[in-house]
Amino acid sequence: MEATITQVFSKEHSNCDKIFAQAENLVANKQWAEADSEFNKFYTAMEKHFTAEEEFLFSTFEERTGHTMGPTQVMRMEHQQMRQIFAQMQTSLAQQDDEQYLGLSETLLMLMQQHNMKEEQMLYPMIDQALANEIATIFERIRASA
Amino acid sequence: MNVANLALQQTPPLSVPVRFFITAPLFGILASLLLIYAGPTIFSSRWGTNTLALTHLVTLGFVSMVMFGAILQLLPVVAGTVIPKPILISSIIHLLLTLGSLGLTLGFIMGQELLLQIAIILLGLSFFSFIAIVGYCLIRVKGNIIIGMWLALAALLITAGLGIGLALRFAYGITLPLSMVLANIHLTWGLIGWVGLLIIAIAYQVVPMFQITPQYNSIAMRWLIPIIFATLLLWTIAYLLLNAHNRFYFVGWLSVLISLELAIFGGMTLRLQWQRLRKIPDVTLNFWRVGSVGLLLSVMLWIAGIIWTELAIQPFYPLLLFILFVGGFVLMVIQGMLYKIVPFLVWLHLQNQQLNPLKAVNMIRIPHMKQVISPILAQRQFWLYLIALFCTILALLFPNLIYLAGIALLGSFILLEYNLLKALLLYRSVLISINN
Repeated sequence: MEATITQVFSKEHSNCDKIFAQAENLVANKQWAEADSEFNKFYTAMEKHFTAEEEFLFSTFEERTGHTMGPTQVMRMEHQQMRQIFAQMQTSLAQQDDEQYLGLSETLLMLMQQHNMKEEQMLYPMIDQALANEIATIFERIRASA
Repeated sequence: MNVANLALQQTPPLSVPVRFFITAPLFGILASLLLIYAGPTIFSSRWGTNTLALTHLVTLGFVSMVMFGAILQLLPVVAGTVIPKPILISSIIHLLLTLGSLGLTLGFIMGQELLLQIAIILLGLSFFSFIAIVGYCLIRVKGNIIIGMWLALAALLITAGLGIGLALRFAYGITLPLSMVLANIHLTWGLIGWVGLLIIAIAYQVVPMFQITPQYNSIAMRWLIPIIFATLLLWTIAYLLLNAHNRFYFVGWLSVLISLELAIFGGMTLRLQWQRLRKIPDVTLNFWRVGSVGLLLSVMLWIAGIIWTELAIQPFYPLLLFILFVGGFVLMVIQGMLYKIVPFLVWLHLQNQQLNPLKAVNMIRIPHMKQVISPILAQRQFWLYLIALFCTILALLFPNLIYLAGIALLGSFILLEYNLLKALLLYRSVLISINN
């Protein structure tokens, strides 16, 4: 059976979580060089995930259902909020300010997790249902863009 | 519809949950004062009026108070809905619960029938309107946590119904038949059904989320809460029917089953936290780990009392059980949750202010969660609370220690309130600079 949006995208969440935790542990130990590269890995993975959602998943869902101001809009806004924190985290890494980084990462974790929860429990299942016939094409397009 | 509306839609106004959160420690403070005032006599009988007052200050004024706020906050995340007219409805429910809890405890302490009569009505209205509103929001959603919330609400309904029935004795002199049996059923449904099931349902979401642990076992997530609920029902029926027939062993073994089910939850939680990916120090983790141990200890004590009946008839036994379950488990995990929810909400609401495109705002840097509540002060409060808990347990052996326990408890609730209020003051001052 073909994988669903819920399965694939939820798996991406948990992969990002793992890199996030690793970067945070490194900052707490003040291993700055390793922390820097781990954070960049995290940042890249998150951006890739956001882009796949915003440009392929959400936009197709919005086209099919006509809801441009519905739940996908809230998710896009939360992506923006997270991007703001990423930028601040980058600054704190450059300044080797572990206290600032750990405060920001704590905040990001809460924002990210409640965001993921809403996607995994409500939005993805909705999308799986609404776009049942197009899932293969969406995955194809995401792969092609990478 | 604009972005500002949507930003508001994803979460209720800050005042909705926070009014409950900052009221709760005040009840903790009252409970500590009552403990100091009553001294060692508080342990003289389970059914003494001071003991009843203390129990309800904690379970209604603190525990249910925070739970109400947390559920109203969680609804958008777990069910995608915010309660209708959030400020109005939460104000009414909050006011009813606060006045009702105060009336009930004062009524117990002073033996004032009129106060108790009023309290019954206020609390009844508060519980039933809360159940109705949350039930209305949950009606179209499915999922494990939703089932957990439904069953917790059902348990609250049973607890509240029995509580009102039992209170008639103090308010009107009407004593229900089997009132001791009903009182035990009332407290079991309150502590294990309403509070316990709700904590389990919330833990499914927050334990993996706060510490990045694996998910709870999916079979357990699906079945544990319904099984505990069903066992509670069976236990209740058996307890009522077999009460007169000297077949207590059957009832006892059903209660052992409930204990084992709770132990599964406690054990799973400790195991997941052991496997966490996030290794940095965290006060919420401390609260939750000690809380899970508290749950396991209370379960072991309960089972020990069923096996060795001589243990169960000791006067300290029910008190120790209550202290371990409520003080060691419930209050622990609730305080741990507050230290995540409140700083996050302060940050989120400030952040949302800046995202409003229709308003000219100053773009300033929003304080992050560890600036909203200092981890050092939160850690101190954790240790103070832990000391208070140990003193309370030791006071069962050395009654005079109860004063020390009361003072430590008072200190810990004052510090909790201070930490929460300071977060709100920071919110207010940052909000002013954003809008100025």
